[in-house]
Amino acid sequence: MPQLSEITGKIRESAKKLLTSGQADVVIGYRQGTVPMATAPFFARTPEDCDQLVWSNFARVNLANYLSGRPGKVALVAKGCDARSAVGQVTENQILKDNLYLIGVPCTGMIDNNLVVAKEPRPISEVTETTDEAITVKGNGFSTDIKKEDVLRRNCKTCVNRTPKLANELVGPEVNGAAADDYADIKALLGKSLEERMAYFKDLIKDCLRCYACRNACPLCYCPICFVDETRPQWLGKSTDAMDTMTFHLLRGLHCAGRCTSCGACETACPVNIKVREFNRIMELTVQSNWQYEPGMSWDQKPPLTMFQTDDTADFIK
Amino acid sequence: MSEYIIKQSALADFFKSLANGRRLLSPQGVGDKCKLEETAPEKVSLDFTNTHMSPKSLLFPQTERLMAFHNEHDKPNGYVFQSALDSGEPTVVFGIRPCDARGLSIANKVFQNDRFTDPYWKGKFDRTVFIGLACDAPLPQCFCAAMGGSPFGESGLDVLAFRQTDGLGFKALTDKGTELLKAAGATEADLAGEIKSLEAKAIESQGVKPNYQPIDNLDLMDLFKDPHWEATAENCLNCGVCTFFCPTCHCFDIQDENSERGGVRMRNWDTCMSWLFTVHGTGHNPRPTKTERVRQRFMHKLKYIPLKQDGVRGCTGCGRCVVMCPVNIDIRSVALKMAQTAPTPA
Repeated sequence: MPQLSEITGKIRESAKKLLTSGQADVVIGYRQGTVPMATAPFFARTPEDCDQLVWSNFARVNLANYLSGRPGKVALVAKGCDARSAVGQVTENQILKDNLYLIGVPCTGMIDNNLVVAKEPRPISEVTETTDEAITVKGNGFSTDIKKEDVLRRNCKTCVNRTPKLANELVGPEVNGAAADDYADIKALLGKSLEERMAYFKDLIKDCLRCYACRNACPLCYCPICFVDETRPQWLGKSTDAMDTMTFHLLRGLHCAGRCTSCGACETACPVNIKVREFNRIMELTVQSNWQYEPGMSWDQKPPLTMFQTDDTADFIK
Repeated sequence: MSEYIIKQSALADFFKSLANGRRLLSPQGVGDKCKLEETAPEKVSLDFTNTHMSPKSLLFPQTERLMAFHNEHDKPNGYVFQSALDSGEPTVVFGIRPCDARGLSIANKVFQNDRFTDPYWKGKFDRTVFIGLACDAPLPQCFCAAMGGSPFGESGLDVLAFRQTDGLGFKALTDKGTELLKAAGATEADLAGEIKSLEAKAIESQGVKPNYQPIDNLDLMDLFKDPHWEATAENCLNCGVCTFFCPTCHCFDIQDENSERGGVRMRNWDTCMSWLFTVHGTGHNPRPTKTERVRQRFMHKLKYIPLKQDGVRGCTGCGRCVVMCPVNIDIRSVALKMAQTAPTPA
């Protein structure tokens, strides 16, 4: 049971060394948030800055999101999923491997604030966390202990790649993966009629505001101009029209096929708590079962949908 | 204007009287489902925290149809344009928070002022009565008092209601509000002292107030040119969460959606966090990076709006952007950085 302070100490130590030696111009990590149950991405450029870096059960943002096109040498504090996203950024030519240093944090999962609020609905004004196993939330006249395993984000519950194996260093002991996603719900959904599936997805996104927090929090969405923002021609309406909104989600799901590492950044960012990953999970299952492919597992792999092989089993491509 | 009371035993009748001939809206649901909804009088509850989103969509829907047009040029009447002005039914909102009412009053000056009037906003505004419910227990993220508001604030309200040990106390703030209370059979009472002490208690519960006052006196260009903006904006994702949840953000984009024979003109919420917000037809973008976009949002809230609205800040301290921002950009921290801007030596 590692103490968070131990991991924090090692992150700071590593960050200072990297900045002092010139191995990195910037270390991207997390600092303490200004509200309970939050951290904020933080860019450390001097050894003094590094003392603001922390490790937390709320380090949810996928920092690989800040890599695409970034000049200079970057070190990144990375969980298992973030490291895989960072590897993806390299394999998709968004950043040079030589310019990237991964400070890997073996991760036991991050907390879903909504689940905490479901357990403790009274307004929370303070949270204390010392280990990666439990938190205590406090408010006016109460203090409630909550076990992390009861409030994990759903992507963390089924994460099999918790230790960032491709990281340049690990700042904590390796951890075992959880039980893998069996996609039982997705398989059941795919067995349903087209109408039933459409009804399911319509209901899923009915609250969508098209704020694009899911897209902007996603390390895969680095297109200089997203198709929803194109104006010449304009592909998609700008209103809350259900079909335009659906088109956005379906196309984003397809664009992320074979690339998504289930980091959950989209769902965490969504201000109306849409289970955005449902689209991605279908594509995960499809890519895994067709090509036995998992993104971000090696430096030289290529996403299956960007490749052509003469022995491709699909008929349409020959 | 004066104060009134309605005892607990008469509240059910009070809500019935509100709903008489009007649509009654009040906060329903909990957590991220808490919103202003049409409510049967017996379902009105005083036990809610704050609505998940601000109430601005009541007067300024995310998507609003402005007009429809269709092409009948082969007929004598040619091109047909039809107004889509829909001011809705007479409405009473019970339980809007003072911060949110203040937000509406700030946006109101954008949609109705001495230069022009937006009929879409005005139609709904004129048909709505706002009864606020004071915050006796502000949330941890609330900072209305630091922004110049109050948990018992009156701006934008027709009536301010507050809890008493037996029922509700009211302060009528407009003629509309007074009429409503009288029609509901409220009893006049002198509550000024009680309101004052409850307000002081609620303000105190928000803790130490940071001092944002220096921003008001600093030169606009000094604030604009301060070097902190790059670091302030560095972790911004440029999503639209802060603007969509903000009770005072009011920018929109007008779009025509056409089919072969006709179409509609609509306006949709827009967000200054997007690069698309300012890009010109030439491709030039006066706010090319997130630094300019983030600066715009905070300068607009904390400098430009106060300059245009007699010192009233464009932030009401509702705390929504603070808790909803995926990367924890906190307007309170940004305001403090702005307040610490070094003025250019004279």
